[in-house]
This record gives sequence, structure tokens and C-alpha cells, in this order.
Amino acid sequence: MEEGKKAGALLDVRGLRKYFELSGGQRVHAVERVSFSLESGRTLGIVGESGCGKSTLARTIIRIYEPTEGQIYFQGQEITKLSQRSLQPLRKDVQMIFQDPYASLNARMTVRDIIAEPLFAHKMVKSREEAAGLVYPMLEKVGLSREHLNRYAHEFSGGQRQRIGIARALILKPALVICDEPISALDVSIQAQIVNLLKDFQEESGCAYLFIAHDLSMVRYVSDEVGVMYLGQLVEIGEAEEIYEKPLHPYTKGLLESIPIADPKRAREKEKSSIEGDIPSPIHPPSGCRFHTRCPFRKAVCEEEQPPLKKLGNAHFCACHLYD
Amino acid sequence: MKRNWEALQQTNEERERIWRKTRSFAGDVWSRFRKKPTAIAGFLIIVLLVLFSVLGPLFTGKSYSEQDLNAANIAPRIKVFETPDGNGWLYITQSMKLLRVSAEGEFGEQLSKLREDSERQMLIFDYEGSELGLYYGKKPYLVVNPDTLVIAKSRRIRNRDYLLGTDSLGRDILTRLMYGSRVSLVVAFVAVIVNLLIGILYGGISGYLGGNVDEFMMRIVDIISTIPLTLYVILIMVLLGSGLGSIIVALGSVYWVGMARVVRGQVLSLKQQEFVLAARTIGSSTSTILFRHLIPNAMGAILVTATMLIPSAIFMEAFLGFLGIGLKPPLASLGTMCNDATENLRSCPYQLFIPAFVIVLIMFAFNFVGDGLRDALDPKLRK
Repeated sequence: MEEGKKAGALLDVRGLRKYFELSGGQRVHAVERVSFSLESGRTLGIVGESGCGKSTLARTIIRIYEPTEGQIYFQGQEITKLSQRSLQPLRKDVQMIFQDPYASLNARMTVRDIIAEPLFAHKMVKSREEAAGLVYPMLEKVGLSREHLNRYAHEFSGGQRQRIGIARALILKPALVICDEPISALDVSIQAQIVNLLKDFQEESGCAYLFIAHDLSMVRYVSDEVGVMYLGQLVEIGEAEEIYEKPLHPYTKGLLESIPIADPKRAREKEKSSIEGDIPSPIHPPSGCRFHTRCPFRKAVCEEEQPPLKKLGNAHFCACHLYD
Repeated sequence: MKRNWEALQQTNEERERIWRKTRSFAGDVWSRFRKKPTAIAGFLIIVLLVLFSVLGPLFTGKSYSEQDLNAANIAPRIKVFETPDGNGWLYITQSMKLLRVSAEGEFGEQLSKLREDSERQMLIFDYEGSELGLYYGKKPYLVVNPDTLVIAKSRRIRNRDYLLGTDSLGRDILTRLMYGSRVSLVVAFVAVIVNLLIGILYGGISGYLGGNVDEFMMRIVDIISTIPLTLYVILIMVLLGSGLGSIIVALGSVYWVGMARVVRGQVLSLKQQEFVLAARTIGSSTSTILFRHLIPNAMGAILVTATMLIPSAIFMEAFLGFLGIGLKPPLASLGTMCNDATENLRSCPYQLFIPAFVIVLIMFAFNFVGDGLRDALDPKLRK
């Protein structure tokens, strides 16, 4: 996606690769040559099946995992090879919201301490009193009240916990928030509440979101752009409306057709062409186009050559031999 | 139409409110711990033992080191002979002296010896002007009237002065027991605190850093744990000389190995959890992650291991004392008391049984508490 790169993007990922070494010389090809860029105030949704490397991508960008290859630029600065120590000041501007609201909060800490932790980590405050002055408005913003301050995380419901996690991520007013399936573990009624909370915050502070999810309709609702991942690779990326209205890649089409439709009349009319088979092992990914084992339109070339990400329309990129 | 199912109005505040009372982690554990009778019994025994060993010596009025050879090997229940005038009792000591004993069992002064009548195998004492004989021809010795050869009336009474008797040097066993359990508890607690410090730091760092550092640190632990513990402790004791300090050094430098392994295992599994990843993405320092996130969450396993370590440290101390490489006399520990008692085990078995019973009691109490703690800390058992 070389030509699509915009100058001054907030986050710029180029050819990012992440392999995990296994015993016996095998390696998991978790993320394979992923490139995209994200501007301030925008939301990029990343969708894909479970195990396609979405979370690994997120964790590699935030440098919990060490990237195997490629570059990550944040605010114009390359952070791929920075040591954890020199990353420390940048961590203030990149925060993460986790999937499991039960596992992502320390059960031995009170809400006050959880939300204040980033403040102390970046020496924004000196005393607990000073921290409380910042924690309380944040708590109110996510719909909790002062009486929750001294409660322990285990006393809250899943939705409340996720909002605590969000308060923790947003209290530093980061420029980029990586949301790793923030709503997957929540009830549908709570999901909307969380997503709206995130949208409100974006309007207020102008931060960018990298929004990872497998719920396609929710991604459509929050995202400006959408990237589709399959087996570690980005197979299609473009404006959200365009991806949903005019999907190009066979995998994207299959994914979109698998969205359940509430109206039975419309559901019956829909042609059934869901993707067959299971996702192949990322230890031995298929040769050529990784999707060829399940693709209904495969050609001979698909097994041999990896299709590059090509520009097919206004800021719409797709990696498929069908459009050669 | 009657409306049976009308929605109630609900404010946001009500929806978000938590109705349950705030309960901290410690409060939660305590509420489960106290439901277990054995755990509470163990806990009470430990509290009583601590009071016994710390405050006890104030009430006995005796010292643990003061020797009185005239009062050696006096049992908790003693056999006494009535005085000729019938208003007191006499006790024959091991060194064949006669001591006055009041009816309540308190010892009085010694009778003065007049002469020995070897023909009749008798010692003649002076009792308020009249003569009194101690026949030593055959055991048990008897108090007789040297003129009429009538044996004085005898009975068994409780020893009031030395409630648990005296040892072979005439020291009060009760007082020594108090000092002995104090030594045992001090050794146990200090050894455990040393273990906690070393074990948590070592295991925590090893587990958190992982990789080659972990590999290297754990191989050191393996090497230390292959050396037989007892041998190692004995070597340290021989090198440093006997004494309370070297026991603590010996136990502290050996037992941390198990603790380090437990902490490392916990940290290894905890550091993959999302709240630790969250702390890393937040930018918290390594020490914050280790001491605010990892260690507090591993505290359950650490506490249980520590509580289970106490009885084994006490036992090791008693064992060293028993072997004679523990404390220097006249200092008492439960082990040295057992050791002293073996000399006259046949004549005075109580000297062994009493400290042994206290060792058993301590072991039971700590094991019960450890057991109860493990159950209370295991969230899977939460009701």
C-alpha cells in the first residue's frame, strides 16, 4: 500500500511481521507483511476470524511482542526497535483496551488505584489526593460515581469493569487507543453503551482508534476505515462504507454474507455462499494466496503467487488475483 | 385493562450501584478461614503459645538457667512422707537429702544431716530435735523412724513449686518450656521472614524476566536443592558455631529455595494475564508490575507455603537441638530439652514427653492454619 501512505499519519505500519518460534524449529506465522496507516481522529476497524492474528497485530504495534520484521512509525518516529526504556514516554500516548474485562483488571486493587496507575507511571501526579482529582471526573465520564472509588474490581459487573478499563486507558488522553475486541465479552445491550462511550471520547479529544473486533456490524458502526485480515495478512482495506457495500476480496464477501440478518424475508433472499472449511494452520500457511484453500474462485496462479495489495478504487486496496 | 407487568422506573444511579458491602480481599479470606474449626483451633493454639512463651516467664518467678542440684529430677507428681509430728511432709531428693514439703506441695527447707548409719543402711537427719532415718538399702528409698523402724506414711501430691517438674540440673521445666517455645517461634518466624524476602525477590525476578536469566537462576536453585538439607544446615552450624543466630542463618539460607520456586511458578502464569499486559502498556515500571501486580496476586500461594514452612523450620531447629548442635546451654529450646531428657529417660520420662508434646502441638497448629489458609485463599472454593 506504498502509494496510499499519507504524510503525517499518526500511526504508520509497514510490512509488519511477527513470527513465534516453536520448539523443533517451527514457527507460527501470526502476522505477515501488514501495512496500513491511521490518521488522528479516525477509527480503523480490523476484522477477521478468530486466530487470524488481529490481537497479535495489536500487541505487536504496542510492543508487548517484539516485531520480527517491518517498521512501526508513531507520530513520525520509528518505534520498531526502540528499547522498552525509550518507549516509556511514548506509552503515554498509546493506550490499550483489552478484551476480557475480568482478566484485565487487577483484583487486588481498588478502582481508584487502577485508574490512577497511568498517572503515577508517567509521574503526572505526586500524591493520591492529586490523582483523585483527575480520577473522579474520568469515573463520572464513564458513568460510574464517587462511591465506586474504593471498591475492588471483582465487585463490578462485566460492563462496569470494561468501563473502568476504558477510564484507565483514556485518563492520559492518549492520541491512539488500541481496542482489542473491547466489546466481545459483553452483553449486546452493554456493547452499544461501550461503543458510544468510545465515540464520545473520540469527538471530545480527537484520538484515533485501532478497533479490533469480529462483530462486523459493530465495526461498521464505529469505523471510518476497515481492514480485513486473513491468516495474518491484510487482504482488503478501505473506507468502511465501501468495504461493506462493494467488497472485492472473496473472503470479505464471505465474511459479510455470514452476518446474520434479523429480517427473515431478507435473510431468505440472501444467496448462501459462506466460506467453507477451517482456517489453515498458521504454522504451515498455504503457498501463494493464503486463502486459496477455501476460495470459491481460485485459479492456478493463486497456489503459486502471493497477490500484492493493489489499489482498486478510491483508497480501496485488495490483495487478490481476480483483479489482476 | 389491568397492567400486571409494568416496568419500574430506574435511574442510572440505581443501575450502577453496587448493593453489597465493600469487602477487601483480606476480609474475604478471613470470613472463609473462620468457618473452618480446625483452622481456628490451630490459630488459637498459636496465639496461646505466643502468650505462653512471651508472658509466661513473668509468672513462674523462676529463671531458665538457675540450677539447684538439690531439686534435680523432681517429677510433676511427687511421693512424700509424713513428718513424725504429722504436720508436714518430707521429700527425698535424688542426692538423698530430705526436703520439707507443705501440704499444698510447696518445698521448704532442707533437713540437716546428723550422721550415716552404714550398718543399717540409713542416713540420720535431725527433725526438730528428734532423729529421722532415710533408708537407702533398697529402691525406692524410704523415710523410717530409726528407733522403731516404722516406715512413715506416704502419699503422692502435686508439685506446686515446679508444676512440670525439674530437669537433671534442677531447673524448672515449665520456665524452660516457655523460653524453649519462644526460641522455636522466633526461629520459625525469622526463618520464614528471611525466606519470604529472598524467595519472593529471587522467584519474582526469575519468573518475571524469564528466558536465559530465569534458566540460570533456576539452575542455581536446583543445585542448592540437590544438597541434602540436613547436611547443609549441620555444616553451616559447625562453621558458624552454635547459637540462635546461626540457626536462623542456616534455615534462612536453605529453605528459600522452595519459596522461590513457588513464587516463580505463580509469576510465570500471572505475567501472561491481561492485567499485567495492561500495566506494561500503561508504562508502569518493572518494580511496580512486580510489587503491585504480580506479588499481591501470588500472595495466596506464598502465604500457604510460608505457613507450611514454619512447622518444618521448628522441627529442623528441634532436630538440631536434639543432635546437640543447636543452642548453647543453658539456653533452652524444645530440641535441647528433649536432648537433655534422654540422659534419664527411664527414671524421668516426663522430661522428654513435655517438650515433645509442645513440638507436636506447634506442628499441628501451624499445619491446621496452613490448611485452612489454603482453603480460604482458593477462590474456587468460594461459596
